Amino acid sequence: MESMTPLKRKQWDRALTFALFTLPALAAILISVEIPFLMSVFSSFTKWNGLDRAQTFIGLENYKELFLDDLDMWKAFGFTLRLTLGSVLVVNLCALLLAVLLDSDIRGKNALRAAFYVPNIVSLIIIGYIWRFIFSAGFESFFQTTGMDFFMFSWLGDVNLVYFSVLMVSVWHSLGFYLVIYIAGLQTVPRDLIEASMIDGAGRVVRFFRITLPLIMSAITVSVFHSLSNGLKAFDVIFSLTNGGPGNSTTTIALDIYRTAFVINRFGYGTAKSVVLFLMILILSIFQVRLFKSREVEV
Amino acid sequence: MKKMLFVVMAVLLAFSPLFAAGQQEQAAGPVTLNVLFYSPELAEQYNDMVAAYKAETGVTLDITVLQTDYRSVLTSRLNSGDVPDIFMSSAYADNSTYKDYVYDLTNEDFIKKIEPSALQGVTVDGKVLGYPFLVQSHSFIYNKKVFADNGITTLPKTLADFEAVSKKLQANGVQPFATGFKEFWVLPQTAWQAIANVPAENYGGYENFVAKLNAGELKFKDIPQMSQVFDLLDLIKKYGGPKPNESDFNDQTSSLATGKVAMIHQGNWAEDSIRKTNPEVEIGFLVGPTGNNAATAGIMFDSNQTIRIAKDGKNLDAALDWLRWLTTSEYGRNWIPGKVKQLSPIIGAAAPDSQIAKETSALLASGTPGYPWFYQMFPTGTEQQLGAILQGYCAGITNRAQTLDALDSAYAKIAKAAQ
Repeated sequence: MESMTPLKRKQWDRALTFALFTLPALAAILISVEIPFLMSVFSSFTKWNGLDRAQTFIGLENYKELFLDDLDMWKAFGFTLRLTLGSVLVVNLCALLLAVLLDSDIRGKNALRAAFYVPNIVSLIIIGYIWRFIFSAGFESFFQTTGMDFFMFSWLGDVNLVYFSVLMVSVWHSLGFYLVIYIAGLQTVPRDLIEASMIDGAGRVVRFFRITLPLIMSAITVSVFHSLSNGLKAFDVIFSLTNGGPGNSTTTIALDIYRTAFVINRFGYGTAKSVVLFLMILILSIFQVRLFKSREVEV
Repeated sequence: MKKMLFVVMAVLLAFSPLFAAGQQEQAAGPVTLNVLFYSPELAEQYNDMVAAYKAETGVTLDITVLQTDYRSVLTSRLNSGDVPDIFMSSAYADNSTYKDYVYDLTNEDFIKKIEPSALQGVTVDGKVLGYPFLVQSHSFIYNKKVFADNGITTLPKTLADFEAVSKKLQANGVQPFATGFKEFWVLPQTAWQAIANVPAENYGGYENFVAKLNAGELKFKDIPQMSQVFDLLDLIKKYGGPKPNESDFNDQTSSLATGKVAMIHQGNWAEDSIRKTNPEVEIGFLVGPTGNNAATAGIMFDSNQTIRIAKDGKNLDAALDWLRWLTTSEYGRNWIPGKVKQLSPIIGAAAPDSQIAKETSALLASGTPGYPWFYQMFPTGTEQQLGAILQGYCAGITNRAQTLDALDSAYAKIAKAAQ
């Protein structure tokens, strides 16, 4: 300590303070996230029903079954990808469009912002049950008053329609969240750049694509990342709205994992599936963030 | 900073005798039993029983009641060491699922007060591993007024009878069935009943039948009578209204109670919901068709819901005392028939004031077959998986051959994992 220069000492102090402040969070994350995660990686190499006191180590058997002999899981995987793709596209486009609208000077924009945000406060499980009611009893009453066939379609029972029902409900729920991010992004766009472009004679459309969009790219990165990982992990909306049905046509990977572990009591196999899901989200997210980050510009 | 720390310590010190006192009191005070049950429709009756037990003995039952995620909550509580003193499960396959945790009741005096037939589902190698607390039945429930209003006097027994009745009802503008296809547990109950006579007649009994399935020696696609299952599901779907795949338990019970539909496939547990919607309703029990043979058409009658006692719990004796009270005390003996209003497995128990329970007893007394819930012998987890596959058939995703293949492959996987 004696030999330290005042500068070094200051740096050392700062590092120590930093470590001390982050230590509680680090410990909490280690105990509640990292250690359980490593334990479940271990479980994925075992045959265990989640109840017996002994776990049998079976090496890569679970992964072998997963990749070679589990059609249901891959069907769930396909549906999850379709749902993710749909929700990433729809939610981001809608949110961006709405954000542009609500950032301009239209009447009642504060009330509208609040209205779009409200569904996001309610738990998805509740949302699922509410929409289940709307799709069945609600639509039936609509049909009786309007006579429109649209309301008599089996929105949750028809294999071809149920995808759109699920997509609609999840977009309706999460729209507000992305709206907030985009509005915040739009508000960081410097006025002088906009004004400069107006003087240069750029129209609304050109201005949006050439000035605004590149400047809010960081908001887009965050939103797409978030909607991507949420889409891949989709569970609650499916659980309460369709419970994976009809058949297994709306079973997502997360629901499949839950059932493997808790309904069929195959804990080892379920954790193997969740390790694969984790890797998938990790790879896709890294890829997506890299791609989007490269397009961000700084003012 | 130091001052702040000092204050915090001082406050903690000041309160510590309080905490200590609180803990001591808990240890010395009366026992509290930790209970995890399902069937939230019985929550009122559970609480009534808890209050009665507390009043008589001073013992508290801290009871949690769940439904859809019951199994997952129980599993995570068991493997995290937070084992409830008393919990519930199904009979049959669940005997082995929870074998590491349950207490062997064979030598308890109160077990002798239970009907031996009710103990079949919880007995493994001569050991009684659970307490059957009520006897349930499922089949088709019908609205008597709707049947009478539409001039249906002979009750249907075969598939052809059911088709004829449905046609007549449909022609009169009444929806014959509310399907319940959205509930994964309604489908297997409906489906397996259609071949309930087959294991005993063709495969040397239920245990043998399930053992063959588990060993892979028997496949569903090799059972010719599986066509009876598909025929019945097709019929219910055809006459099940415009959105057959969206009907759930609530839709079934409320539609039947209001007379919007004539029949539902449900069990005696549905009666409470039906009568809550319409207290005046008169309902009856129909046999489930096993193809076109009227003689084998019966009802599914078993004691499936089982109370389990944790063997390593520190309140083991108190939990056993509670079961003894439930079997022998005046309140306990009357609880199932009088409050829960279902059939009790206790020998000499009173008959409940329930239309379905009465019809069940009458049907069985008249020689109608009462089949065990043999699908509960299938390995744990098959109910949901096979239910989803049958749901896929009803939604038109798979045809009969594909459905049979899917059933076989799902069953084989679960059976292999359960070994």
